[in-house]
Amino acid sequence: MASPDITSIEVLRSQLAKAIQLEHATIPPYLTALYSIRPGANTDATQILRVIVVEEMLHLTISANLLNAIGGKPDLTVKGFVPSYPATLPDGETDFTVGVGPLSPETLKAFLKIERPAMAPAGKSRHVVRKSDDHSTHLCTLPEDATLRYYSIGEFYAAIRDAIVYLDQQAKAKGETIFTGDPKRQVTSEYYYSGGGKLWPIVDPASAAKAIDLVIQQGEGKTQAIFGDSGEIAHYYRFLQLDKNRYYQQGDSPENPTGPALTTDWSAVWPIATNLKLAALPAGSELYDAAVAFNSAYRQFLALLTRAYNGEPQVLLDAVPRMFEFRNLIQQLICNPLPGGNGNAAPTYEI
Amino acid sequence: MTSSPRLENFVAFSAQITAFNKVEIWGTGLADVYLDTIDGLVGAAVTDALLDAFAPIATLRSDAARTDRLRLEVFGSERLGPVARAIVKLWYIGVWYPLPSTWQEQFGPTARNDAFVPTPAAFVEGLLWPAIGSHPPGAKAPGYGSWRLPPNIPSF
Repeated sequence: MASPDITSIEVLRSQLAKAIQLEHATIPPYLTALYSIRPGANTDATQILRVIVVEEMLHLTISANLLNAIGGKPDLTVKGFVPSYPATLPDGETDFTVGVGPLSPETLKAFLKIERPAMAPAGKSRHVVRKSDDHSTHLCTLPEDATLRYYSIGEFYAAIRDAIVYLDQQAKAKGETIFTGDPKRQVTSEYYYSGGGKLWPIVDPASAAKAIDLVIQQGEGKTQAIFGDSGEIAHYYRFLQLDKNRYYQQGDSPENPTGPALTTDWSAVWPIATNLKLAALPAGSELYDAAVAFNSAYRQFLALLTRAYNGEPQVLLDAVPRMFEFRNLIQQLICNPLPGGNGNAAPTYEI
Repeated sequence: MTSSPRLENFVAFSAQITAFNKVEIWGTGLADVYLDTIDGLVGAAVTDALLDAFAPIATLRSDAARTDRLRLEVFGSERLGPVARAIVKLWYIGVWYPLPSTWQEQFGPTARNDAFVPTPAAFVEGLLWPAIGSHPPGAKAPGYGSWRLPPNIPSF
């Protein structure tokens, strides 16, 4: 199938770099919401968020494998890779923003939108025109024209999937392939454990399609089914359980989960500020220094990931203890009151 | 946690006597729980006296001067010293140790006279773990294989 958006391997690489950025962009909001839960409280929400954020880390690595497969070089250290929150995402005809804040009914709404990308209605363009009149980071933009965005995250990935097939067919006609990446650059399961699923080397259109399908299935669900092929419940429905106060089980309809009941105590959450920036903290204070130290630890972590995705997959094993270190740093920030009684601090993710 | 000047003083005092900084003390999430615990044990009047004694010391710029006066006026005080020492142990180990019987004979009995853990989080947030560059066994897992890395011991 022809893909009018992505007509060259260079453009496909730049779109996959955006996919890596998109997958990562969900992690700070999810992690912060997870760690905003008070110790011992909300065990259901904690477990749901934890599973989802770990799978987002898997998706991040899968996107890097895809880019490597076609001869690209993932770089998580480029300026602007980490969005300035709130970041803007498309949701059909309207945009929505996703920010860094406490777990709340409002953040849950944004998370549900992230995980349920609507597909453009049949016969309608998969693009929408937006005026970029603000300074927030827009994700899911079209190649080379930031005023055009995909209708949804689902359409963004569908365009990539189509382009891989289309460009590889074109290459094959000339006796070539787009899968020119060094297989040694693929991050596979020996370097990645307990991380929400298996990793396999991406070397051809079939293994690439399988990778994209996994990302879409774990997120929105296979053709919007609650459970995927492996019996795993999709992120959208995992989150929806928090809204419906009940777990799904096999055979349920989306409207009516019939599993065990669960409750979320929205007040058992640290009252952290939403989208906090360093500028809001008194310069030179211990709290300011701690927020800077976190950003610096996070920047180093992204640099380690970049090495792991560029031919040194064993570095991923060293990155794991770093991840746990910044869990501790985030929890520390979240317990600190802001001066002036404006709630509690949070990581600013100004990388 | 709702902050109050009294709680802020307690955090500043706790930072001074543990050698951790205020962000780390707040970062345990236990400052208010511990202050309530101490108030309940020795009475708010004793805690207030402790914090009042510390207030002028907190304003001194020199570390050495702060330490000297803390020794003399707080740790050297018959009434405040044993309480301050119990607070150090509470922060580090997460256990409240009963005050000496001589203290209780002189200043009145405490509400409880046994060693106890005020909250399950006290074990997890004990300062002894970061002090030795480790983590509480069974909590704050540091990740598979991290035990081959040297401990990251903070400088005091």
